[in-house]
Amino acid sequence: MLVITGCGNATETKNETQTNGGTASAPAGGDKTTLTIANATDIESFDTHNNNNTMSEAVLVNVFDYLLKNDAEQNKVPVLATSWEQVNDTTWRLKLREDVKFHNGDPFTAADVKFSLERVAKDTTLKQNTYYKHIKEVNIIDNYTVDIVTETPDPIMLNRLSRMGAGILPSKYIEENGIEAFLKAPIGTGPYKFSKWTKDDRIELVKNADYFGGTPKWENVVFRSIPEASTRVSELLTGGVDIAAGVPATDIARIEGVDGLSVEQAKIQRVLHIIMRMTEGSITADPKVREAIDLAIDNQVIIDSIAGGAGIPTRTSVTPGNFGSDPSLYETFEYDQERARALLKEAGYENGAKVSFSSSVQYKEVAEVVAAMLTDVGFEVNLEILEASSFSEKLNSKKFNELFLLGVGNSLFDASNNYNRFKKENAAGETDYNNPEVEELLQSALQNMDVADREKQYQKVQQQFTVDRPTIYLYQMKGIYGIGAGIGYTPRLDEMYYAEDITLK
Amino acid sequence: MGKYTIKSLLQMVPVLFLISAIVFVLVHVTGDPVNLMLPETATEEDRAVLSKALGLDRPLYVQFGLFLYNAVQGDFGHSFHYGQSALPLVLERLPASFQLAGAGMLIATLIAIPLGIISALKRNTYLDLFISGLSALGKGMPNFWTGIMLILLFSVILGIFPVSGKGGLEHLVLPAITLGAGIAAQMTRLIRASMLEILNQEYIRTARSKGLLETVVIFKHALRNGLIPVVTIMGLQFTSLIGGTLVTETVFSWPGLGQLLVSAVNTHDMSIVQAAVFVIAIIVLVVNLLTDIVYRYLDPRIKYS
Repeated sequence: MLVITGCGNATETKNETQTNGGTASAPAGGDKTTLTIANATDIESFDTHNNNNTMSEAVLVNVFDYLLKNDAEQNKVPVLATSWEQVNDTTWRLKLREDVKFHNGDPFTAADVKFSLERVAKDTTLKQNTYYKHIKEVNIIDNYTVDIVTETPDPIMLNRLSRMGAGILPSKYIEENGIEAFLKAPIGTGPYKFSKWTKDDRIELVKNADYFGGTPKWENVVFRSIPEASTRVSELLTGGVDIAAGVPATDIARIEGVDGLSVEQAKIQRVLHIIMRMTEGSITADPKVREAIDLAIDNQVIIDSIAGGAGIPTRTSVTPGNFGSDPSLYETFEYDQERARALLKEAGYENGAKVSFSSSVQYKEVAEVVAAMLTDVGFEVNLEILEASSFSEKLNSKKFNELFLLGVGNSLFDASNNYNRFKKENAAGETDYNNPEVEELLQSALQNMDVADREKQYQKVQQQFTVDRPTIYLYQMKGIYGIGAGIGYTPRLDEMYYAEDITLK
Repeated sequence: MGKYTIKSLLQMVPVLFLISAIVFVLVHVTGDPVNLMLPETATEEDRAVLSKALGLDRPLYVQFGLFLYNAVQGDFGHSFHYGQSALPLVLERLPASFQLAGAGMLIATLIAIPLGIISALKRNTYLDLFISGLSALGKGMPNFWTGIMLILLFSVILGIFPVSGKGGLEHLVLPAITLGAGIAAQMTRLIRASMLEILNQEYIRTARSKGLLETVVIFKHALRNGLIPVVTIMGLQFTSLIGGTLVTETVFSWPGLGQLLVSAVNTHDMSIVQAAVFVIAIIVLVVNLLTDIVYRYLDPRIKYS
């Protein structure tokens, strides 16, 4: 039996370390009490179970709490739960904090956990349902103890509980007022309370003085939604916002040229894939052709020329910080034009190998450079750049030909999420990848409760992927953030903005 | 006049039906929202479950029938993105868009009327050429570019106006100029042409030959008649104004209908697109009708048919 316990003070201790041992009270230095952060998109709603966008979660983590969360190093730390243990293969038991109140004063109890998790698990219209549908029920053992029962053994229950779809909502408030009323005046247990939301403009939060983790640092936290990147940068330059996300690489020098302003780059959970069709009869069914494609691409050149250096070459999508990662495949890539040409020749394509390559307009520049690199070694590339909605339509109906470019994120921080599309059932019609050995590893790992063995299974899969190449990886992306004068902020791998971790210098 | 208004209002019904049908077909054939709602790692099974839950697995004609049945009752369905009823989401954006459009129109009028008149009076002089050049420039600058340049100059360099967002009047200035500039350019040209036509009329020559002061001729005789077409011009410009808000609102992060529509198209939020286009269509039809009525009122020569 696996038992993990944590002390209830862990999160607070961490905050104190980050603020140089200062108390978690009003920020020192100056009278700045409002933190303003600019994102490219607005949140979808205050329903943590019905969002599917990292930017939404980045805001909502300040209003709602999870039972546990990831710290900056992806360790699970307690929030609303104080300890957790696995009772048997399909049951997790969690002890809950007894001193937590929702923003309207209602106490937080086991009933809220049952309500929240069963809602996201049962309501198939919710965008987060796919991650929680295997939860059979949540049993209330006493007011502050719950059992989460799953249909099948779930080795990554803790990962699921520490992300967006597992936000704890107020059961009494929603049952009395309905979900529509809740969405207009949402309440959670987090350090900041909802104040006002002008859609596509700003969300205003105010400090929750009764927060169980101590008095929050900021009086007000404002999240601005500014779709146009140059407008976001201008806001940062004029002091209109303290942090601007999604800074274009071309604007880095402009920001750094201003006294006090700085730019931070941080790895994010998104890896660019080139996914290849292995369907019999297609040119990429030949492993030599796939290898030639891999060798033809200089990943570092793409990172430097298109992403302004904001990326890390990788041969796996399970990057460090995710369960199952294989460090030997990270920060490395294969590039050998001569060998690529030779492989094409060996495969019988001396006079040009025709491949079609599709990309959404979002990654247009990357696709163009890749196409040029492939052309260099003897491919004839039919490059197809599609608008976002027609790209996703083709993706859904599996209509891409030999190659397509896809950025894939992973909010579960577990390798299982990286291989969904390569399982035999899902790969049929898309990559048509079918390696029985890999399939067995993937299926077994989904329910394998032996942590060490499970990690090895995923590492084996990654190694095999470098041989089979149903996909090759270009690079792990980095987020580029502009940071205002006097603001101390270290961007996170999960792109969350925990306002409590953002300080005045 | 009452009869005419009622007839025009009735004519709107088939137009609105047609627009709804076209938009419905367009949003349904151009892609599946389920894709964009689920993570890239979602399986086919996940998509099928969500499709069914949202009723998107039903035949298109059934969905259209349901849409019409609900739409006549004012229900445009649920926004997939926001998880709320679509029509209220659209309507709550109207005040911000009206504010911006009104300010843009005001600026356009304030610029275009004097420039148009001067241009007509000083026809073929350097001043006229200069104004013509200015309008060509104004017409040629895309809103997107104008907006970014205004932000750079007036916010970043001079620090006079805020960069973006909605707040006090100072927040309105730059987006309104951005929106108004392009329209002013077009209006100036039209007003110039209209004034020129009137200045060539017999009665103006008569007024001048009577020895009236030039200012009296211009302001009392020419302008009163010359401004009648301006009403039509303003009415016609209204559609460009709506097109302009789509871009201007995005550049300035102005929370109006334009930005809502742009993001709804990007996220394939069908019910929002349908509701927004429907509301915009009604606004355009009503503005056209009002223009017609005001025009007929100002120019008694036009008969109602």
